[in-house]
Amino acid sequence: MKILLPPPLTDPPPEQSFVQDFTLLFKAQMRVTWNKMRHRSLGTLIGMAVLLISLLAILVSLGFLAYGSLQTMSPQSAQGFLSLLFMAGLASQIFFGITAAFAALYMSDDLELLFMTPVPLKVVFAVKSLAVIGSNLFTAILFTFLPGVFYGLLFHAGASFYILVFLVGLGLWLIGTAIAELINLLVMRIVPPHRSKEAVGFIGAFAGILIALVFQLPNLLISKNNKFNLADWLAGQEQIFNVMNFFPWGWGSLALVKGISGNFLTGLGWSLLLLIMGVFLFLIAFTLLELGFRRGFISLSQGEGGKRRKRRTTLVKVDTASHPQNTINSIFHGEVTGTASPWLGMWAVAKKDLLSMKRDTREWFGYLTPLIIMLFFVGQFLFSQVESSRVSLITVLMMYTVMFSGNMALQSFGREGESDWLLNSVPLAGWPVVWGKLLAAILPTLLLMETMLVGTAMIIGVSTTLTITLALGAVLLSLGSSAIGLFYSINNCRFNPDSPQQRISPGASMLMYLINLFFILILALGMVYLFRPNELISVLQQLPPITFEGGLRSGIIYGFYLLSRPLLWPATWRILTGIIVAVGVWSLMFFGFMAATVRQSRKGFRVELVTGRKKKFRKKSTN
Amino acid sequence: MEHVLIKTQQLTKRYGPVSVVKGLNLEVKSGEIFGFLGPNGAGKTTTIKMLTGLLDPSEGEAFICGYDISKQPTQAKALMAYVPDQPKLYGKLSAREFLHLVAALYRVPKDIIAERTEQLLGMFELGDRVDELLESYSHGMRQKVVLAAALIHQPKVILLDEPTVGLDPASARLLKDVLQEMARQGAAIFVSTHILEIAERMCHRVGILKDGLLIAQGSPEELRQKVGHSGESLEDIFLELTGGHENAELIHSLEEG
Repeated sequence: MKILLPPPLTDPPPEQSFVQDFTLLFKAQMRVTWNKMRHRSLGTLIGMAVLLISLLAILVSLGFLAYGSLQTMSPQSAQGFLSLLFMAGLASQIFFGITAAFAALYMSDDLELLFMTPVPLKVVFAVKSLAVIGSNLFTAILFTFLPGVFYGLLFHAGASFYILVFLVGLGLWLIGTAIAELINLLVMRIVPPHRSKEAVGFIGAFAGILIALVFQLPNLLISKNNKFNLADWLAGQEQIFNVMNFFPWGWGSLALVKGISGNFLTGLGWSLLLLIMGVFLFLIAFTLLELGFRRGFISLSQGEGGKRRKRRTTLVKVDTASHPQNTINSIFHGEVTGTASPWLGMWAVAKKDLLSMKRDTREWFGYLTPLIIMLFFVGQFLFSQVESSRVSLITVLMMYTVMFSGNMALQSFGREGESDWLLNSVPLAGWPVVWGKLLAAILPTLLLMETMLVGTAMIIGVSTTLTITLALGAVLLSLGSSAIGLFYSINNCRFNPDSPQQRISPGASMLMYLINLFFILILALGMVYLFRPNELISVLQQLPPITFEGGLRSGIIYGFYLLSRPLLWPATWRILTGIIVAVGVWSLMFFGFMAATVRQSRKGFRVELVTGRKKKFRKKSTN
Repeated sequence: MEHVLIKTQQLTKRYGPVSVVKGLNLEVKSGEIFGFLGPNGAGKTTTIKMLTGLLDPSEGEAFICGYDISKQPTQAKALMAYVPDQPKLYGKLSAREFLHLVAALYRVPKDIIAERTEQLLGMFELGDRVDELLESYSHGMRQKVVLAAALIHQPKVILLDEPTVGLDPASARLLKDVLQEMARQGAAIFVSTHILEIAERMCHRVGILKDGLLIAQGSPEELRQKVGHSGESLEDIFLELTGGHENAELIHSLEEG
């Protein structure tokens, strides 16, 4: 084949202006976004539309809420309220902006390509920063533009007031994004390139938890005081609001208050100051970003080149006897060693999973979630110390132990990701793999849940006997639930390289929860036989005899009637039935699901690969 | 007349106290294919990243077609192309859209972009899948797209990091022919590779990097003479030079020589 290539260039082509390069890159970015939309499935598009409608609904309802709050306030209190809103908006922009900046500036696949082209770095970062700014649009609208517009509507402001709203909104939007980019510079420096995907999950989850906490605070305040009046509260915070005037969010509220009072020029001054501050911070972030990448202060997250090296502190002693050829000889010509116990294999599987959980920070959030949820319940208990909250706390803990254990076990086989061939090809399929997985799933779960259960029981003053019973019960529940989770995991595991924490199909997850509920219900029946509730007995004793009269409804009622009969038996028979039901159900569920999982492991398991809109199965490998 | 198109002077890269590339001096002339060899972690990719301007050197300078890559990056990059070992592309663009984008970024005149795109896509046998999104391409096909993108703006210098990984034998052969044709037309080719047969057959000169130091450079024949075993392959020479401590004296003598 004759190769026809044009001769190499002799001189570089003429340079293009910033605007020309920017337009070119922006168009390419738009093309990528358009193609992304075009190739989405109909289901995803419908989902996005539903999400958009929901977001709009939230936006409208929050708008009405803000409007309602503003109506009850004097203009001075409204200034404080606006300051608070702007501050919350800025904080949210910073948090969301860090994640967006990290994804756009560090994890982006096209940076190396763009850095290689004769396009100035400034243009590349300008387009990337536009994406970060865009990601903050919703937060800026929610916390800055809308409150400003509502404020204007409430006090019947003229058209010129909305110029101030626009300037203030723009200024705060720029400041939030610029601070996010500046903080992101440090994050990019701290996080090594090979852990960037992990970090973005970590930052996102952290921001999510923090925001969830902030949104729960009013609930806790209202629970404590029964009646919470925002206007009264704001009136009492005058000193704090005076201090806020020294910060950009205070300038924003000052600009709007001055604007509404007819002092447009002063308002314009404050809003321009805010905008200049935003532009100034943005320029600093921009310059430092460019400098950081050029100087190697920040590495590109591609390939191995960016990986920071550690100074070698120890030198490996070179043994001339350990020449590769000698090693090869010792491996292939040595004596055949005996086979090790499968228990070692089981432990190896468990250890692999435990190490993976320890080293991937995203895994930690799986364990932090119950802690945070429990924090709310403990908080609620401390705020409203009533008997019912104590009972509900223990019930929630036990229920959560079951659901949490099941959920953690559900992740087990999906964790193999693209490496599922390994566990399928080693001579360990069957119980060593499944028990290894169970061990890895249950050890951290038990450690966490038992600590929480016992700790909470001690704090709220539960008796020692009950605490021990609860702890033992939690172990058994956790084991049973994990066995169910493992079964669904081995049959429905999936792996999405873009979102490695999604490891199970949603349908299987729902089914696992349903089976777990059924498991708890039957176990509870055994427990009721063992520890007879007096209230129930008095109701049962008044019930007339029920007979089966045909039909589903009668069948269900008759079934419940039969199940309630052992409660009225003599203690020995009742307790014996209770033990048989509880132990039987637990054994049936635990050993049954474990046996089914072992069977599937012997047949070989497959991890469904999900990438964007496509999913594919790789060839199922068996032993 | 032979021009030096790639030149480094005391090029050094340090990460904290650790030097990854140490005072690298090399020259690649017009029409030359230069093989850059070295064991894993020797500093090859870091060197290429400094040559391409993706990384600023801690010390020293790098020139592409006479332009200092740190001070005149736009001019230098306009005359150069880089083929990375792990091609990261816009998954949501088709091959045609991608080549059009790269051509525009390198300021190829609009009237010849379409024609050259079709030529290159045809040459790398991507013609029947040009409108599919790149995310559906295999590694080898992505590599072909990157190679086509690297050639679209008629570069005078081309730097390739493990270019044959993932390519089928026919494509690898095509790549070799393309690089030889480019060299014949006066371009300078800088190839980092582990496949020593390719280096031996294709490269006019090779440089061997070890722990950030250029321990040897010259034509394969010159290296054989330096090592003193005229009949040995480049693989043997490479292993001898980059081997254990027992070769320290040999390396020392080469450095002095």
